[in-house]
Amino acid sequence: MPEPLLEAREIVKSFGRVRALRGANFTVYANEVVALVGDNGAGKSTLVKTLAGVHQPDAGEIVFEGEPVEIHSPLDARRLGIETVYQDLALAAELDAGANMFLGREVMRPGVLGKLGFIDKQAMRARSRDAFADLGVALQDTSAPVATMSGGQRQGIAVSRAVTWASKVVFMDEPTAALGVVQTRNVLDLIGRVRDQGLAVVLISHNMPEVFEVADRIEVLRLGERVARFRRGDVTMEDVVGAMTGAITHDGETR
Amino acid sequence: MARTTWIVAACTALLAFGVAACGSDDNGGSTGTSSSSAGGKKSYKMTLVAGVKGDEFYITMNCGAQAKAKELGVTLDFQGPDKFDASLQTPVVNAVAAKKPDAVLIAPTDTKAMYAPIKQLADGGAKVALVDTTLEQADFAVSQIASDNEGGGKEAAKTLGQLIGGKGKVFVVNVKPGISTTDARGKGFEDGAKEAGLTYVGQQYDDDDPAKAAAVTKAALAKNPDLKGIFATNLFSAEGAASGIREAGKLGKVKIVGFDAGPKQVEDLKNGIVQALIAQKPAEIGADGVQQAYNALTGKPTEKQIGTGFTSITKDNLSENQDALYKPSC
Amino acid sequence: MTDVSTKADEPELDEDQEHRPPFWQRLVAGSSTPIGLILGALIVVFSVLEPSSFLDSANARNIATDAAVLLVLATGMTFVITTAGIDLSIGAVLVFSGVVSAKMMNAVGGDNWGVIVVGLVVALAGGLGWGLINGFLVAKARIPAFVVTLGTLGMSLGASLVITGGVDERDVPFKLVTTIGTGRAFDQIPWLVLIAFAVAIFFGIVLAATRFGRYTYAVGSNEEAARRAGIPVDRHLIKVYALAGTLAGLAGFLSLARFSTTTIGGHDTDNLQAIAAVVIGGTSLFGGIGTILGSVFGVFIPAVLENGFVIIGVNPFWQEIAVGAVLVGAVYLDQLRRRSQYQR
Repeated sequence: MPEPLLEAREIVKSFGRVRALRGANFTVYANEVVALVGDNGAGKSTLVKTLAGVHQPDAGEIVFEGEPVEIHSPLDARRLGIETVYQDLALAAELDAGANMFLGREVMRPGVLGKLGFIDKQAMRARSRDAFADLGVALQDTSAPVATMSGGQRQGIAVSRAVTWASKVVFMDEPTAALGVVQTRNVLDLIGRVRDQGLAVVLISHNMPEVFEVADRIEVLRLGERVARFRRGDVTMEDVVGAMTGAITHDGETR
Repeated sequence: MARTTWIVAACTALLAFGVAACGSDDNGGSTGTSSSSAGGKKSYKMTLVAGVKGDEFYITMNCGAQAKAKELGVTLDFQGPDKFDASLQTPVVNAVAAKKPDAVLIAPTDTKAMYAPIKQLADGGAKVALVDTTLEQADFAVSQIASDNEGGGKEAAKTLGQLIGGKGKVFVVNVKPGISTTDARGKGFEDGAKEAGLTYVGQQYDDDDPAKAAAVTKAALAKNPDLKGIFATNLFSAEGAASGIREAGKLGKVKIVGFDAGPKQVEDLKNGIVQALIAQKPAEIGADGVQQAYNALTGKPTEKQIGTGFTSITKDNLSENQDALYKPSC
Repeated sequence: MTDVSTKADEPELDEDQEHRPPFWQRLVAGSSTPIGLILGALIVVFSVLEPSSFLDSANARNIATDAAVLLVLATGMTFVITTAGIDLSIGAVLVFSGVVSAKMMNAVGGDNWGVIVVGLVVALAGGLGWGLINGFLVAKARIPAFVVTLGTLGMSLGASLVITGGVDERDVPFKLVTTIGTGRAFDQIPWLVLIAFAVAIFFGIVLAATRFGRYTYAVGSNEEAARRAGIPVDRHLIKVYALAGTLAGLAGFLSLARFSTTTIGGHDTDNLQAIAAVVIGGTSLFGGIGTILGSVFGVFIPAVLENGFVIIGVNPFWQEIAVGAVLVGAVYLDQLRRRSQYQR
């Protein structure tokens, strides 16, 4: 059995009196799409943000490629090769697509200018155009503010960003929640392509048909704990929903 | 969107134009076009720059100046900054300089800081008359016209001494140092108070703000509960000192002599909050200013210094001195 | 299933080469252009009404000199507002910096470049200090910027009054007044104007072309996104407020040089004027959008209006109404233009 790429073990996280995660577990392997599902309030987004360095767990540990790690900030997660597409996209609406792609990772001008702090906007725009093209994201004007683009295009940018920079794991939190039919199609295809490129994709979704279309495995979170793990081929939608609501629990073999 | 941009620009320009056209009717009647005058002689353009707008002292000065200007066939503009401060008066002076007026009457808000911009006016060819306040270096001015402020301060000390029965603690609410007129009044009062045997406890500044004047008055009352009299050196100071007395509940117990006789001070006088007002003659100062500038322009002799007088106004003689009161508008 | 949509959209994708229009075209179509045009329109109107007075090099020099200090303030304010923050304390910090600078120069004594440099350093340090306080309270203590800077406004102005006893410090090294304050380079351009424009150009470049500038836009546009992208948001905010404070310190020094007195009472509305200038210039109060060039226009529009109205002879009380009306009009029309861009 191959080793998990990333594992969350017994993560506890509270916000004031609300206990969002009560010893949650989660496992991701390389080269797969795993869906993290659960009802509202199950703790999915909190778990993802903890693994992405946005939150710090109150207890529990994170294991990456077999070694325990501490992820204190988004930068730490980045350094491990973990990137995230957040539910709110985390795009700066007034900046252009290139600026968003390179947010926090700006390309500096070569030589002295770069040392003085000058950024290379041309290079960032060009490289992001290439990234968008590779992933089939269609933008009319890459120098326009992201706010002028459609929801689907913005999603495409957020996904491209995470996919471009990630070297190990990509978390996608409800990537199709606000999209139309055609755009949803694009994103699901994109997820497949990303997996095929060798990364692990963690898909958080409410949408069972979508999950069943792209996911290789499904892990179910309920009330801050993992209650079931399935391989997609072994299970029906009713089973999964049953696990989400607490009707059944199941801990299937992985791989 | 280019079309919208042009519409934007055009609308704003029209707006500015419209306001300018409307607004320029209301001043002393000049928009740079020469008015007709008897005998076809040249009509001079003058501007009066007050120390602060909204102060009845300067408004009355303007009224007197406008009357004299009409008499001489001269057009006179009125301008002034929002507060009595050199940093606010300077842009006004600079803009006036651009109009290249024949003469400017100005009340400088600082004896040093206003030298450069006013000198620039004079260098541009304008005849400059300093009205009310003056500069440390004023040789280039054709005339300096002001009340004898030191004398006025002494007079105020005498009056206050009489009001409080010849002895007791007295306090001064002044504006800020660097203003020639109020500096002189403060000094005159101090000398006069000492001569009259009063106990001078000091002076505080209020930056020409009635609210601050009220605050320093109340502070002085707190520090000297047996304070008998206050001298306020200008209009806003008197207004604030009166408020301060009222708010501290010392009406009638502390006598106030104020400088300047604006409508609010006259009200206070009638109501017994202020006991005496030393009124200057701003209309006369304004008229003299116009006359001196006119003389300079027409080659007639000018007087370098003119001292205008005072009127001591109390509740009793108020009815006879109606024309000494300052006006809120002409 | 093939991706019909993506393939259909592909022809619109740029191919190998950069499709961007040339620099001058971008400048013309830029976000500050409408405001620049409005400024131009105002200049035209006043020039037509009073050609000999308004269109005069001496008058232009005066307008620029009067606007110089505000331009320095507006430069710092542009950065702050672009981060979706605000700084109400700059006028008071200006006064404070002038006060401590004047006091220090008098303590050191003398009338030479050495003492002037001391004065400058003290003024900048004074401004920087208050700026750091602002930045720290906004970024770390998470107090809204409006509240923080209102507090430091009171504290710095109060400190100035305590230090001076409420009385303007009027003893300033004469050399400072004659050189920087009223002197001119090449006998034509006042040093104040040169310094102000140098500051504006330098920081305009910083905002537009450096990482510091981009972080400023990012934090203003979406602070949380910036954080998640690994941008050190707290540190950046502190730097931005520190910059605004330091520039207010410089402005205080320049004002001191010009008027040779601390003019404590003359800066009560500087903060609102700077905010107005920045907002007229196209910077959004909600953050993420703004340019220094726009702020330059924004500074000059009210300056030109006030100067022009005095020249034309508008009643001084009408002037404020007129300036206010034109400001609202200019910003409103700019907003209309922006909103049409964002319609999807």
